[in-house]
Amino acid sequence: MSVANVINALEIAEISARSLEFFSFKYAFVARALTASILVGGLCGAVGTFLVLRRLSLMGDAAGHSTLPGICVAFLLAGSVSTLPIMAGALVSALLAAIAVGVITRGPRSRSDAAIGIVLSVFFGAGIVLLSYIQRVATTSYAGLDAMLLGNVAGISPEQLIVLGVVTVLLGGATLLYLRPLSISTFDPGFAASVGIPVRAIHYGLLGALSLSVVVSVQAVGVVLVSAMLIIPGASAVYWFKRMPGVLAAAVGIGALSGALGAWTSYLFEGVSTGPAMVLVATTFFLSSLAFGPRGGLLWRAVRRRRRQRAMLANVSVSATGVR
Amino acid sequence: MWELFVEPWTMGAWMWRGTLAATLAAVPCALLGVFLYLRRMSLIADALTHVALPGIVAAFLLSGSVDPFTMLLGAAVVGVLASMAIEGLADKGGVRSDAAIGIVFTAFFSIGVIALSVGVENAHIDTACVLFGDVLGISNDSLILLGITAPAVMLLVGLFYRWLSLVSFDKGLAANLGVPVALVHYGLMGAVSVTSVASFEAIGAILAIAMIVVPAATAHILCDRLPWMLIVACAHGVFSAILGMYFAVWLDVSAAGAMVCVGGVLYALAFLGAPKHGVLVRWARRRARGSSTATSTTASLTATAGRGEPHPEVS
Repeated sequence: MSVANVINALEIAEISARSLEFFSFKYAFVARALTASILVGGLCGAVGTFLVLRRLSLMGDAAGHSTLPGICVAFLLAGSVSTLPIMAGALVSALLAAIAVGVITRGPRSRSDAAIGIVLSVFFGAGIVLLSYIQRVATTSYAGLDAMLLGNVAGISPEQLIVLGVVTVLLGGATLLYLRPLSISTFDPGFAASVGIPVRAIHYGLLGALSLSVVVSVQAVGVVLVSAMLIIPGASAVYWFKRMPGVLAAAVGIGALSGALGAWTSYLFEGVSTGPAMVLVATTFFLSSLAFGPRGGLLWRAVRRRRRQRAMLANVSVSATGVR
Repeated sequence: MWELFVEPWTMGAWMWRGTLAATLAAVPCALLGVFLYLRRMSLIADALTHVALPGIVAAFLLSGSVDPFTMLLGAAVVGVLASMAIEGLADKGGVRSDAAIGIVFTAFFSIGVIALSVGVENAHIDTACVLFGDVLGISNDSLILLGITAPAVMLLVGLFYRWLSLVSFDKGLAANLGVPVALVHYGLMGAVSVTSVASFEAIGAILAIAMIVVPAATAHILCDRLPWMLIVACAHGVFSAILGMYFAVWLDVSAAGAMVCVGGVLYALAFLGAPKHGVLVRWARRRARGSSTATSTTASLTATAGRGEPHPEVS
């Protein structure tokens, strides 16, 4: 046995020991981190599916970035990184951003893509200004604020976890309760309006749900990458199922799994933020769905095309022999 | 009063260097932004500015040097790769185009952040600096880089102005006239990547999107013709860069963030008060029309009938 092998074996032993530690719920903060990651992944997966299907994917990006100024203002007002004020601040600024995107889109000569870009960058710029101001004047600790950028799920507090759980239950319940009107207005807004579904109310309700879920997720994934956790599970799920309940369930599953595996990866390797780790796991799921998914995945489409070609060739040769 | 404006310039070379860097970053961003805006591709810029981060990290890991031109090359290559991935996903994979943008850039950005935190611990790449810029302490390398790329981008836009404008307004016509549409497209993508890397130290990866989108959107509210739009966009960029530097000095806050905020305020002013398309003018015009119709109901009835709009309820 060479030295390299021994080192390898040692590394594997250490990694498995740390993995056991992570999944055994031995330490309270690890258990909290794992629960939070699963909840965040599932919640974002559910809300994000509707965003993806309604071509609002990048609203998630705008909502994520735009929470930063609200978080900073709340910190300045409350003077500490306590959970509720920070979350309220983040919620207010995410809602303001959603309204701003709507106003600019309906305003003079504007384009919806540019509206998202403008709101996202200006809100984020304001957030950066406030953050630099806080770093200069803060007398109390602002350590929690830095983690908001790229996420640090291990730093989640019990109160944050409770709020996250409550929001998950509420939004999950609302989704199940209103699944039919939600799906109908997503796929055919005209028909939905004609049968009396309040399409506009559903649109604004969805934007509200988006803001809420972004706010409870930023501690785990960070403001910059929360959009990925919203978009990727939904975009992957459509390769597996055709009907809405299936797509939704798959998106929740993929999101939750990405959350758990991402948190685990960032626990194994020091210095890796949880946000990017979760996003990479989710991307792996997306790529495998794109390749192997039965509904429009690349592999199945290629197989079907081959089959069709062969059938056509067979037809041609049959007809050719018939002529002869 | 004057002292407030003059004093920052006497504080040392950093004010001059910072303003120079910010201006050199703002002009090419604004120029390219106009073309992206007209093609409804503003959010591609969001993707490309984020994607420049993994480009830089990859160039560093492969070459082992922090030489700015290696990084520029890496970012341009990864940028074109990312824009190909976005189009591939949208065309062949059946992903909605906005979702494709969101998936590709977050994935690339995550790879960049992880590689930065794991693989590049001993290099002179500072995460905060790459993300948010450090214009007040800008390095010589970075300033030279901007000094080369900014004129180069301006020159290229000037040379290919006809192709760019034709492709922006009517892709089909451009293709019929023999303009290499795909080449122009990837050229534009490459230029955006190069510009966002060159402006990294000045404004950072995430805020570069503001320097690309906001000037173009402001110019579009104010102008009706492309040449004026380009000029106004550049003016917006330069003005917000300089005023942003002032605010950064006066309030001692992040310079890049201050520039973006000034740009946002300028956009809001144009949105409300633009002479031809602003919200206030449109509102005033609608009111004027409303009061005139109220005085002569018959005129308004014939007018609406003439325009083919539904008659008011008659029952």
